[in-house]
Amino acid sequence: MKLDILNTAISRRRFLQVSGVTGAAAAAGLGLEQVTGQVVTDAKATAAESKTVITKNVCNQCPARCGVDVYTTDGRVHAMYGSLESPISNGKLCPKGYLGAYILYDPDRFKGPMKRTNPKKGRDEDPKFVPISWDEALKTVADRLNALRDKGESHRFALLFGRGWGASDAGLLGTFGRVYGSPNAAIGHSSTCADASKKAKRLLDGNYDYNAYDYANTNYMLIFGASFLEAYRPYNNNLQVWGHIRTKSPKTKVTAVDVHWNTTISGADRALLIKPGTDGALALAIAHVILTEGLWDRNFVGDFKDAVNRFKVGEATLNPADFNEKWTKGLVEWWNAELKDRTPKWAAGITTIAERDIVTVARELATTKPAMVLFERGPTAHSNGVYNGMAIHALNALIGSMYAEGGLMNQMGVPYGKLPVSSDDFMDEYAKSDDRKQYPRIDLVGKDWLMASNQIQAIPAHHLAGKPYKLDTILFYMTAPIYSAPEARKWEEALQTMYVIDTSPFPGETAMFADLVLPDHTYLERLQDAPTYPFQGWPMATLRVPAVKPLYDTKVFGDTLIEIGKRIKGPMGEYYKALGSTENVIKHLAKGFEDKPGTNSVNSFESWKEKGVWYKKPYLWRQVRGEFYEWDGTGYNKPMKPEDVKAKLLKTKSGKFEFKSSYLEDEHYAEYVHEKTGVPLERVGFPQWVEPKFYGGGDLHFISPKVALQAEGRAGNLPHATTIAQPVVGGKKTIYDGDRVRIKSEVGRIEAIARHYEGVRPDTVILPNILGHWAQGRWARQNRLPTGSASEVIVNKSEPISGLASYYATKVTVERV
Amino acid sequence: MNVQSQERGYVSMSDTLIAHWKDVGTRALLKEVLTLGGERTTATTIWQVSLLGLVISLAIAFYMLVTEGHAAFNTNSWGVTWGLPISTYVFFVLTSTGLTFLASLAMIFGFDEFYPVAKRCVWLALATLVAGFATLALELGHPFRMLWAVPTGFQYRSPMFWMGVFYTLYLLLLLLKFVKIHGGDWDSRASRYLGISSFVSVVIAHSTLGLLFGMMAMRPMWYDGMLPVYFLITAAMSGAAFAVFFTYLAYGFSQERMPEKLRALASGSALPNVFATLIGITILATVSRTITGLWSNMDGLEVYQLLVRSPMYHFEFWAGLVVPFVLMLSPTLQRQAGMQILSAALVMASLFMGRLEFVVSGQLVPMFKGSALGLYQYAPSMTEWMLALVGIFLTFALYAFGEKLLDLSAQPARA
Amino acid sequence: MAKWGMVIDLEKCTGCQACTAACAMENNRQPGENWQDVIYFTEGEYPSVQVKWFPRPCMHCENPSCVHVCPTRATYKTDEGFVLIDWDRCIGCKYCMIACPYGVRFYTDEKPLVGPDIKTVFKSNDEHSWNPPWKMPDSREDWKHGVGVQPRDVVSKCTFCYHRVSKAPKGTPDLSEHDPKTREYTPACVVACPPTARYFGDLDNPESEVSKMISNKNGVRLLDQLGNKPQVYYLTGVGGAVPSNRAIKKT
Repeated sequence: MKLDILNTAISRRRFLQVSGVTGAAAAAGLGLEQVTGQVVTDAKATAAESKTVITKNVCNQCPARCGVDVYTTDGRVHAMYGSLESPISNGKLCPKGYLGAYILYDPDRFKGPMKRTNPKKGRDEDPKFVPISWDEALKTVADRLNALRDKGESHRFALLFGRGWGASDAGLLGTFGRVYGSPNAAIGHSSTCADASKKAKRLLDGNYDYNAYDYANTNYMLIFGASFLEAYRPYNNNLQVWGHIRTKSPKTKVTAVDVHWNTTISGADRALLIKPGTDGALALAIAHVILTEGLWDRNFVGDFKDAVNRFKVGEATLNPADFNEKWTKGLVEWWNAELKDRTPKWAAGITTIAERDIVTVARELATTKPAMVLFERGPTAHSNGVYNGMAIHALNALIGSMYAEGGLMNQMGVPYGKLPVSSDDFMDEYAKSDDRKQYPRIDLVGKDWLMASNQIQAIPAHHLAGKPYKLDTILFYMTAPIYSAPEARKWEEALQTMYVIDTSPFPGETAMFADLVLPDHTYLERLQDAPTYPFQGWPMATLRVPAVKPLYDTKVFGDTLIEIGKRIKGPMGEYYKALGSTENVIKHLAKGFEDKPGTNSVNSFESWKEKGVWYKKPYLWRQVRGEFYEWDGTGYNKPMKPEDVKAKLLKTKSGKFEFKSSYLEDEHYAEYVHEKTGVPLERVGFPQWVEPKFYGGGDLHFISPKVALQAEGRAGNLPHATTIAQPVVGGKKTIYDGDRVRIKSEVGRIEAIARHYEGVRPDTVILPNILGHWAQGRWARQNRLPTGSASEVIVNKSEPISGLASYYATKVTVERV
Repeated sequence: MNVQSQERGYVSMSDTLIAHWKDVGTRALLKEVLTLGGERTTATTIWQVSLLGLVISLAIAFYMLVTEGHAAFNTNSWGVTWGLPISTYVFFVLTSTGLTFLASLAMIFGFDEFYPVAKRCVWLALATLVAGFATLALELGHPFRMLWAVPTGFQYRSPMFWMGVFYTLYLLLLLLKFVKIHGGDWDSRASRYLGISSFVSVVIAHSTLGLLFGMMAMRPMWYDGMLPVYFLITAAMSGAAFAVFFTYLAYGFSQERMPEKLRALASGSALPNVFATLIGITILATVSRTITGLWSNMDGLEVYQLLVRSPMYHFEFWAGLVVPFVLMLSPTLQRQAGMQILSAALVMASLFMGRLEFVVSGQLVPMFKGSALGLYQYAPSMTEWMLALVGIFLTFALYAFGEKLLDLSAQPARA
Repeated sequence: MAKWGMVIDLEKCTGCQACTAACAMENNRQPGENWQDVIYFTEGEYPSVQVKWFPRPCMHCENPSCVHVCPTRATYKTDEGFVLIDWDRCIGCKYCMIACPYGVRFYTDEKPLVGPDIKTVFKSNDEHSWNPPWKMPDSREDWKHGVGVQPRDVVSKCTFCYHRVSKAPKGTPDLSEHDPKTREYTPACVVACPPTARYFGDLDNPESEVSKMISNKNGVRLLDQLGNKPQVYYLTGVGGAVPSNRAIKKT
């Protein structure tokens, strides 16, 4: 594969076939045959013989970063398999991984930049896109941004992003906002993703991140609503791990907690079907049993000074001074304030899980070593999500699994090289001026939302109300809140009064409301870096190498952003000219590997491209029976001092795992938490039971899980994905088996075909959030049930501490249409 | 007439036809084809109507097959793979079998009273066989490939292979037999041997068809070593119904218009008794199959629960079997033309539905219980109905052609 | 001569469908034409529900009823144990589909499971039934063995990835996807299986991994009472397996 692929891409011939969203079928079909036909013949003409070329790529179907070998023969991508060189893939992919070629050759793809000619926007309004040149498209954006700046209104430009990959795309966004002068560039999607689990961990162990896990060595897993065998990252590796842990000696025992009988629960040894939103109560009762039965990990947690267990049911207040805590802080206070009354019997009444099961799970969890507890959106996408998450994560400290073999770790960062220029040198007076600082973010994070990172779901209401102001221009990259955010239809309203720029390679709901489309390459055409999501702790950076030249006149998003930047007046333009291109950026990133060669010897851009991944094993730290050690080159031999542990691992104020969170008790936040949650000031720091709130006015909990074939935002238009059977979903109470039903809440209604499924709690109805795309292309359009996404029915309420949308807190009614 | 001169006769016949075409011109020839010459009779009307029906149903079927291919069928890979076209094929070829049996009663087994219907039965056997083959050909993915792939494959384990061999043989023998009797040769050695051979070949052919279903152990609803016997009985019943119906059709549904010997047969008790016996055995077989199906816990037989709940099944059983059985048993009713015609029509309808039900029911229970929610569902598509109509109209057209031009009422002079 | 066979360890299988998706990609299947599929079923009532699944490729039976019923020998069994279809001989009578107890055969021309029909979206201009832009290299297509995009009106089925396996060096006991030397010869579903629940090798070689697993872990065969004798064995996990009512003989 030649290096100049990106340059040749830019000057490639243009195809004028345009996939208008509503009237796409005929035009796009024509376009595809002509275009791909030509590509194939071109390749045939130049290649004397059929030779299969394997290029390295990174799967795009979920955030995990699985390495992919892409097989290309005669210019045609015909197969993809997991890369043997990739430590996540190990030669494997999950079912989504094999959908790549269908995405590359999707006949509904946008063929080049386009502008809208129909001023009216709506679900049923054909945007009437007409193709334009990249020059015109980029100039259009730059003119708008320059004009906003001239008026001192640069804050009215927002850039929203979701699945950013690395330094060459998402990594460029913040800089863009800073040098341009908008607090809204960029706002991430994390508050509609899984911020509450990250926040719960931040509050207890000081790391605002998902964990890395040593699954292969664990002997017990307690899974709370994490869909380990359907969606939990890295799904592909989880499946590999499953094959190992379920046949290794000893076999890893698994208990799974969820609200419906999913694959994970089916595969597990014990299924606990819990009442939605009450996982925290279960975790607290497990903690209660662990303490009262004296099963906590004394090496990590410590013990009573006289080694006599005083944790007894309902026992009067204990004295913290009687307990020598080692790597935790506040255990006795937590007991006094919360745990002493959290008996299995109490929890059984709340969770509907039998007392006997709670006691058994607690004993198994605490006496099987190593063990781990994991959780994700199931327990946390509720009004009490962070406290639920804290209660669950606290168990990891009680059983001593933090940083232990077979336990949890944190993900290390990648030692990338520096970019050729620093944006600090290109901040002009405008961007630096105090005038800029007076404008809050459009989502009011930092003001109304004191502790949240993002509040993307608040944008439509704020914009429509003009509070704090109205947006002028909005650019979407890898996120589609118009489909996925709660009360999704509000976005349709809001986007009617903004200039909308979409960068997806495909038609979709956002594009229906777009004024300008700047299509990205699909991932098999991209050169793009992607550092790993939390995996096994040690650092890893993967690289996408284009398998084929771009099929159409598209541009990788990083370059689109850089090209817009180049057209902004003043130093900002200079900065982007100096930055050059994403290829230049990636080459500079790779320089970081020169003095830190990877375990697989990758030490340059060239070798990175060849292997598709740089990684450096091992994880550097480990807790062994209550002592922390650092890797010294041959083993975990170098003892760590408490201050090392605080600096590198337990990054809380105390340097301990805090059962009494100093972060929450901080004066900045305690009052806020008290006000928003009603938790008394003196109790805000403890993992605790907070009654969940439910919205929507219905009688059935409405749960929208991810399923295994939920290819990142695109499965709705992949007939190969929709025709592969998945375990049945539906509801026990949806007695209208096979009938068309209406699912409705106070904020919206959609229609779907009901399926009776015994594996769902009688108080719950299930609708995977993959379903209901209405503008993705010919297949999604022709198979329009459900009539809309689950998000249209979900009430837009967010958990106050993390800002995470309470996706699973809506109750609906289901009725036959 | 020996075989050689006969062949020469056909060559000269085609020469004559071409010469005739040249003489009278296309229009006149077309008119002759449409009217079949001679004076206008009921057969002329049947010929014209069924020719029209054939042209329309074939046109629709071809259009669908060219534009959508066999995707125009409602059959599929995970549920019902063989649908209405296959059941129509089974219906017609088994009817052909039955008609040959009936013809053989006189020609082989010496029941001379059946001579008046013998030639018509032989011709109808040919017509229904051709109709069955036509339907099948339109159902197959590559019918022409069959012509070389089946013989060269020689898969002697496949009942379908033997079915092909024996039905082809049967077709040839039947054709030759018809040529013989059409030439007035009813009783020569050659003619008798042809009759016996075609009888034997059709018994084997229909047995292979029975085994084609009956040997399928993975489909318990069909799995039955005695299925050829069941097919034998129902085939005979089907043949009898066709013989009665078409014989009456030939004489305007009136016994009075029949020649004497035929009237004797029609108004006598022999024919109704044979008919009633066949229906009675069929009732017995149906009841015993149904009870077995309902009683057994075997996977695949659950379909009988569905069957006994379907109105179609009850129409077939009560209206299609029990009513004709009673009518044909009753000493007074069995001789009445109307009752005979009604019984024949009911049996024909019942069998047509029954063949569909039989073919489809064997496939309705999913092979694995997880692969579908409950039983599969199947209703023929418009294209499939067109294929069935092709078979039906072809039968009528060929019948009318024979009736008009081939003197189907002929019988040996001595009889 | 090897006799290729597969072992599927149901204790490891997560029902993820990677096998199905990889098969569709490798073999250019239409949506829903799942040569390899995972069958799910549920039993029981809440809260004591069972959700079960098992992967189902073609069993490549020792005693294949599909081969026996095929009137043209378009479906045939090779010396190495593959049950294959010669698309140049298939007349589309579908009798093999009737006779297969495992439901692994597919007729090319059917109503699409989801519209619009992908065959019309990627129309073929030649004798192929459709023309997917991602189809396998032309040189790999092999209609005599049922490999590639099939013509119209024929039956297709899992080939055990004949185009890969048949290239394996003679005498190879095991085809493992983890070994770079044998990876490219290993069937797509085996290469794909994330928990490594699938194993592929020579059933006639007593030293092969598959032979040992069948023996050590009580391999069973699906619908054994029908006597088709699949060359695909299932391991049902710890605690013993339900015995089949036929002796498990590999020949």
